[in-house]
Amino acid sequence: MIPLSHFMLISAGLFCIGLYAVLTKRNAIQVLIGIEFMINAAVLNFVAFGRYDKISGGGQMFALFAIVLAAAGVAVALAIILNVYKYFKSIDPTKTNTLKD
Amino acid sequence: MEVLNLSENRSLIALLAAILPLFSFVFLPASKKGGGANIALSTISLSFLLSLYLFFQIWNATPEHQQLHWFLIGNVQFYAGILLNNLTVLMMVLVSGISVLVHIYSREYMKNDPNIHRYWAYLGLFCFSMLGLVISDSLLLIYIFWELVGFSSYLLIGFWFSKHAASQAAKKAFIINRIGDLGFLSGIMIIYTQFHTLDLLELFGEGGKISTAIIRDGLWLSGSQQMPMQWLTIAGFAFFLGAVAKSAQFPLHTWLPDAMEGPTSVSSLIHAATMVAAGVFLIARIYPVFDPLVLDVMVWIGAFTAFMAATIALTQNDIKRILAYSTISQLGFMVMALGIGAYSESIFHLTTHAFFKCLLFLAAGSVIHQLHHYSVKNSHEFDYQDIRLMGGLRKRMPFAFWGMCLASAALVGLPLTSGFLSKDSILIKAFEWAATRNGVFTILPWLMVLTSWLTAFYIFRLLFKVFFAESREIKEDKLVQINDSPIQMSYVLLILSFFCSFIVFSFNPISSEASWLWNGFELSKIREISSYHWLLPLILNSGSFAMIFFSYRIYVQGKWTNPRDRNLLYRFSKREWYFNEIYNFLFIKSLEKLSLFTFQFDRTVIDGLVNRMATLTKGISLIIVWFDRTIIDGLVNALGLLSGYIGRFFRNFQTGRLQQYLMTMLLVMLSFFILSYLI
Repeated sequence: MIPLSHFMLISAGLFCIGLYAVLTKRNAIQVLIGIEFMINAAVLNFVAFGRYDKISGGGQMFALFAIVLAAAGVAVALAIILNVYKYFKSIDPTKTNTLKD
Repeated sequence: MEVLNLSENRSLIALLAAILPLFSFVFLPASKKGGGANIALSTISLSFLLSLYLFFQIWNATPEHQQLHWFLIGNVQFYAGILLNNLTVLMMVLVSGISVLVHIYSREYMKNDPNIHRYWAYLGLFCFSMLGLVISDSLLLIYIFWELVGFSSYLLIGFWFSKHAASQAAKKAFIINRIGDLGFLSGIMIIYTQFHTLDLLELFGEGGKISTAIIRDGLWLSGSQQMPMQWLTIAGFAFFLGAVAKSAQFPLHTWLPDAMEGPTSVSSLIHAATMVAAGVFLIARIYPVFDPLVLDVMVWIGAFTAFMAATIALTQNDIKRILAYSTISQLGFMVMALGIGAYSESIFHLTTHAFFKCLLFLAAGSVIHQLHHYSVKNSHEFDYQDIRLMGGLRKRMPFAFWGMCLASAALVGLPLTSGFLSKDSILIKAFEWAATRNGVFTILPWLMVLTSWLTAFYIFRLLFKVFFAESREIKEDKLVQINDSPIQMSYVLLILSFFCSFIVFSFNPISSEASWLWNGFELSKIREISSYHWLLPLILNSGSFAMIFFSYRIYVQGKWTNPRDRNLLYRFSKREWYFNEIYNFLFIKSLEKLSLFTFQFDRTVIDGLVNRMATLTKGISLIIVWFDRTIIDGLVNALGLLSGYIGRFFRNFQTGRLQQYLMTMLLVMLSFFILSYLI
């Protein structure tokens, strides 16, 4: 039986990779991929904790919901990226800096 | 004390008599240049007639006193009114009468003066103020007129103000009189403080407040009022100071000789007959206020002034200056007489002196006038007031000569003249008074006798030098050009000559006791010593005749003369006892030194202080500026800069890059975790 801490470490690693991607990548698609990494790290945690809820399988249920929501989020995010591209002719997140004063 | 009743006309007449001359002052400036003689003459003549009427109404009858409510101070009512008694009406007739004569005389004397209209105006003002002074019933009113008299005297002395000496003399007269005015005013204030009234009758009349006030335990008590007794003496001295200045007594006599810079007619009216008598008049009016100490001082000042002025008159060469010193000397006699209590004698002498001194001046003026004309006509420049240059005018100017002769005789007090009556009565009183005293007082009457002899010498020296001997400056052949003055002037001399004789004042030529004027006043209480009454006139007149003889020998016959010996006494007299020099040194020089000192004090200390203050303020403000610039501004700027830096610093975070924001959030979260872990 694989101990829970292994799952936690892998998920933390995944989260960190995703975070790294989100913070450093110069491509919005890659940033999106980083976000997906982080969501999946969270999903992994849900599933791992689901072991302690064998009767109702709450963890798995949350994981499924999260996957669905992530998919929906990706769809929205892609649409935003498309619009950003149309507007800025670039999807480099460092270039889209009109938020500054 | 009744309220002025309009139907009662005597006070109104007095008021009218006083105010009439003022018309010529009020209206004449408007009249044309060089005119105005007729208005002035008619107003003063009318005033004289009114005075004469009043004189016959009031003299030796019941005095009149009427007054109007004037103003109110606190609870004290002030009244202004008219007091008519023997003294008042006598002075009124004297002032207006002599004024009329001088007005007539001036018409000729001042004829060609371009500013004659001013002359008439000033003369009108003078007559008004003098008559007002005489009839006033309250000390306050007398003070007002007293000042006005001084002012009109100032105007008339400085009538030829373009002459430097005249304007200086006018200023001198005015300033010296101010010293006296100060005394008068102080006296009024003391009297007012003690008695709360300035009414003459209420104060000095019979049973008046002065006589009912008593001195007990060193206090001067009047009703519920009390003062230390010294104040009575001080009040006496204060009033006396006023009289001293006005009547040109030592030590304030120096203005009168200088006042001779005015026209001779003015000298005659103001500085011989009337205004200078105002001091004597004031003393007579308020006589009860003087206590024995003040009276003794009065005696000595009068006697000393009489003697001093007589010695100065011995050596003067200016004809008017001699007469001025003679006036001072005679005023000294009057003041002395008042001091010994010879009240009626003093007023008597004042009256007779007014006439003969006026005559002396007018005769001298006549001489000056004619010599001036001669000098202008022949363009022969000389000092026509210097008696050394005159001589031999007896035949050429009989009117002036005989007028002068009579007046001189009256001045000396030769028998059959008015001066004999008045002056000898003063001297007799002086001897009788001295008999009641002892010690140093016994020499006083002899001093007066000596003065009287000196008077004989100096006035006949003048007479002989001017009218006898031979002409010195004008050649004998040209002397025919000089004639007596115009007939108007000569008539005035004639009228005045009549008033120099005994007949006007007394039907008995050798006894003043028969004089109506002498008997018109309260008689003095000095015990009579009959031997003096015949002995003294004898001594006096023999001495005077001897003096006249001496001067005849010296100045007419040229005997016994060594006038060239300019010894110490001669110089002392010639320089008028060095009074001007002493005053110059004592007061003017020291005042100049004081003002120089204060000027320096101002310059160095006050200005220095101010300048120091300015420098100090400048220094302080520089520090303040520096403080403002660096500290205050610096603080504000530093705050501004700081907020700027902070703003710029925080602005750096607002890059607009989402990844950076995210990074920040992460770091913040992490730091929270780390912090919560550590704590």
